[in-house]
Amino acid sequence: MADAQSSSSTAGPLATAKSRWWAAGGVAALVVLWLIFAVWPDWLVAILGRKKVFVNALLNGVTLGALYFLVASGFTLIFGLMRNVNLAHGSLYLFGAYLGYEVSRITGSWLLAFPIAFLAMAALGTLLQIFVFRRLDGQDLQQTLITIGISVVLADIMLWIWGGSFYQILAPDWLSGPVETFIPSSVSRRTGELIYIKYPAVRLFILVCAVIIGVGMWYILNRSKLGMLIRAGVDDREMLAASGVRIQLIFVSIFAFGAGLAGVAGVVGGTFQSIAPGEDTRFLLSSLVVVIVGGMGSIPGAALGAILIGCAEQFGSVYAPTYSVVLTFVIMVAVLAFRPQGLLGRA
Amino acid sequence: MADVSEAAAPLGRFDLTRIPAHIWVIVVLLLLVPTFTSGFVQFQIFGWAFILGMISLSLMILAGYGGMVSLVQMTAAAAAGYAVAIFGASAVAEISFAWPWPVAVILAIAISVLVCVISGALAIRTEGIYTIMITLAIGSAFFYFTRQNYTVFNGFTGFNGVQPPQVFGVTWNDPTPFYYLTLACAALSYFFAVYLARTPFGLALQGVRDNPRRMAAMGYNVNAHRLAAYAVAGVISGVAGVLLVWSTGQISPNTAAIGPIIDILVITVIGGINRPIGPFVGALIYVVLRTYSLDVLTALGLDGERFKLLIGMAFLLIVYFSPDGMCGIWDRYITRLWRDPKREGADG
Amino acid sequence: MAEAAQAPRRDVGAEFALELTGLSKRFGALAALTDISLKVRPGERRAVLGSNGAGKTTLFNCITGDFPPSEGAVRFFGEDITRFAAHERIRRGLRRTYQISLLFNGLTVFDNVYLACRGVSAGRFSMIGLSPRDPLTDAADELIEIVNLGEVRDAPVADLSYGQQRQLEIALALAGAPRLILFDEPAAGLSPKERRELIAILGRMPNHIGYVIIEHDMDVALSVSDRVTMMHNGRIFKEGLPDQIEKDPEVQALYLGSGHD
Repeated sequence: MADAQSSSSTAGPLATAKSRWWAAGGVAALVVLWLIFAVWPDWLVAILGRKKVFVNALLNGVTLGALYFLVASGFTLIFGLMRNVNLAHGSLYLFGAYLGYEVSRITGSWLLAFPIAFLAMAALGTLLQIFVFRRLDGQDLQQTLITIGISVVLADIMLWIWGGSFYQILAPDWLSGPVETFIPSSVSRRTGELIYIKYPAVRLFILVCAVIIGVGMWYILNRSKLGMLIRAGVDDREMLAASGVRIQLIFVSIFAFGAGLAGVAGVVGGTFQSIAPGEDTRFLLSSLVVVIVGGMGSIPGAALGAILIGCAEQFGSVYAPTYSVVLTFVIMVAVLAFRPQGLLGRA
Repeated sequence: MADVSEAAAPLGRFDLTRIPAHIWVIVVLLLLVPTFTSGFVQFQIFGWAFILGMISLSLMILAGYGGMVSLVQMTAAAAAGYAVAIFGASAVAEISFAWPWPVAVILAIAISVLVCVISGALAIRTEGIYTIMITLAIGSAFFYFTRQNYTVFNGFTGFNGVQPPQVFGVTWNDPTPFYYLTLACAALSYFFAVYLARTPFGLALQGVRDNPRRMAAMGYNVNAHRLAAYAVAGVISGVAGVLLVWSTGQISPNTAAIGPIIDILVITVIGGINRPIGPFVGALIYVVLRTYSLDVLTALGLDGERFKLLIGMAFLLIVYFSPDGMCGIWDRYITRLWRDPKREGADG
Repeated sequence: MAEAAQAPRRDVGAEFALELTGLSKRFGALAALTDISLKVRPGERRAVLGSNGAGKTTLFNCITGDFPPSEGAVRFFGEDITRFAAHERIRRGLRRTYQISLLFNGLTVFDNVYLACRGVSAGRFSMIGLSPRDPLTDAADELIEIVNLGEVRDAPVADLSYGQQRQLEIALALAGAPRLILFDEPAAGLSPKERRELIAILGRMPNHIGYVIIEHDMDVALSVSDRVTMMHNGRIFKEGLPDQIEKDPEVQALYLGSGHD
């Protein structure tokens, strides 16, 4: 402790510590890139098993992380900007999933499920913001307790309507089946050509969508005029209200957008996983862990946390099936112990 | 307890005499319950309510006195239950050590304290509303871990065949003995919580709740007080966990699944999160609703399976309209009842 | 008051009660305090003047350890306390009050003062109920009398008037064995009558307890202090005896020009 304090009081050691972190990160990135793109030598196969298993776990982890990000980013957006803890966020996810299932089943259109789930959950989020968070402004605990109550009630209503069975949303034909990626798995013994890894197209599609949404959110918040307005409103509500900006409208829009994202995530999750009771708490918890690890209120933090947790779960279930949950937990504990505000959170 | 109350008696506001007369009436009634109720009511209603009430009381001490809403109390109780099954005897002979019951019970309470303190140590590094999120994450990690781990926790099935000890020749999980056992533990922890409020530690904890920064500026180590509160809460939830595993004879991951974790919060809030009696009121309401929900719901013209909907709506209404729970509603009702005759007298 | 100011005070061994050397505090790019050096003798009563944003409260926060200074050292009766936690400083006899009320609203007046007394003695974790034989109970009641709150001893703090809350604030700072108290604008928002009461309470304080008082009201500040320090833009601007400061043309220009109420 004493060392850390004395070194932080002068600029020199701090800078070297920072550059050391960058160097470590760079080396780690290079190792991962090499692991992905090189054809593995035999000794590595002896240690880690076949490359295909490794790359599949990695891709599964990253795409699962993309799904976690879609859920958690709405949660962290709402929390980061308005300090509202919405523990009914998992219910919005599951509700969106069920709606998406019904839409795609009735209309036969997968793409149509997205806007409808988004709009429905955004409407629900608007109601939540107006009747719970605005009315109980500043009463953190009561807000949080009410959202817990709402999640209990919603869970039972959904169980009532859709029962306890599993559902899955079918991906359209143009996304079903695997595509060949540019990642080599091994060299063919017969022809000597590289064999490339095949991966489900729908998961890659979702990964791309999550990246676009994440970058878009970050860009709007940090680089656009609207983002500046939002962040100013967060720092000083009265000032902004006095300057004639309709701050309540901004808040309700953010809340609706965050809730809508949960609905979209529900359709995504319903496509490459399944829809069932209990998924609401599962995704609420994964969102909590993701934002705790990444840093509450930080969009890049949510992305980092989501990828870390997604990969931890997938690698865990491949290489140490009994302890995959422990791995997630250890990451969370380590972050809380050494950096309580989260990896990219503001101190 | 007795000589402490005598020592403090002259001041008249620091001790057991603070407990109003109607509480003593309730105590006598509770002692007489087995004379006019069935074994089912003693065991399934009151026994269960006392246990859930104790777990909720440990949350009440943290939240009501200390301002820390910890969702890890059910998990701590379950950890104590697991400890009883693992260190004591159970039907899963290949895991259980079958040590003497006092050893198992002491270890169980110690483990509950440990779970609380470790969770607390992680949660108090951040402020306020984070506590709920972090403790919920810790609780669910415990749930998923016990479900996957077979070497220590015996995975999905957990443990069964855990028997309470035969002390004084009494079978303690027979309805009437079990009723008195849980009543004694619940009453002890209730009186302890009441007493705690007027001790230097209890006052300091309430000071930390109201204004942690000022407490630090007055010479208190705020985090140490918070951790100590977690330890105290851990003792109560530990005792409750032991009783829990003795009552049902089994413990499994589902004991501390997300549902039961949330239920403890629901119980405490419905009863009243600011005072020690609240958790027990909440627990009794919860258990009665749960047991008779089929009848209640069909009477209301609803599907009999919608218990969660019922309790969730009750919870929502309470949080929205009476943040201090049923006890708050009761208080307001009583003050109105007392005030009205006086006003009439003054007018006449 | 003038008599009290000139009365000899008990020296506690060290030459200075409080000694700040080269204290600076930056928040990011904003320099809240720059190179503050200040010496307060044991038992001395010092007023700190300055307009809003001069860095007075930040200075207090650095002294009490609410947040650490970026540079410089804080010595308390000769001991370097720069890196001490807030509660360790308190146990050495350093106290402060707050500009905004930071009281325990859920507790009674007695509980508040009792907690303050308990905070600087042993048994903070005691789970034995409070008793009338507890010497701290008497100590708390005595303090309650000193600040004239005997009538509301058992009332919840939330029910007190603003002036009463300010008086309670002073009682909390007097608990234990204070050697130096930092008063952060104790007179702000008080009525003229309450102000006079405050000045009387400060005058009744035992001679060996020194204090540093932040005060906007020049009249209050000059009547309760032996020496005055004037701050401006995070720096020390002037230091001297009350009449010197009062007559100083630069101070007058600055103080009247800053548009304080």
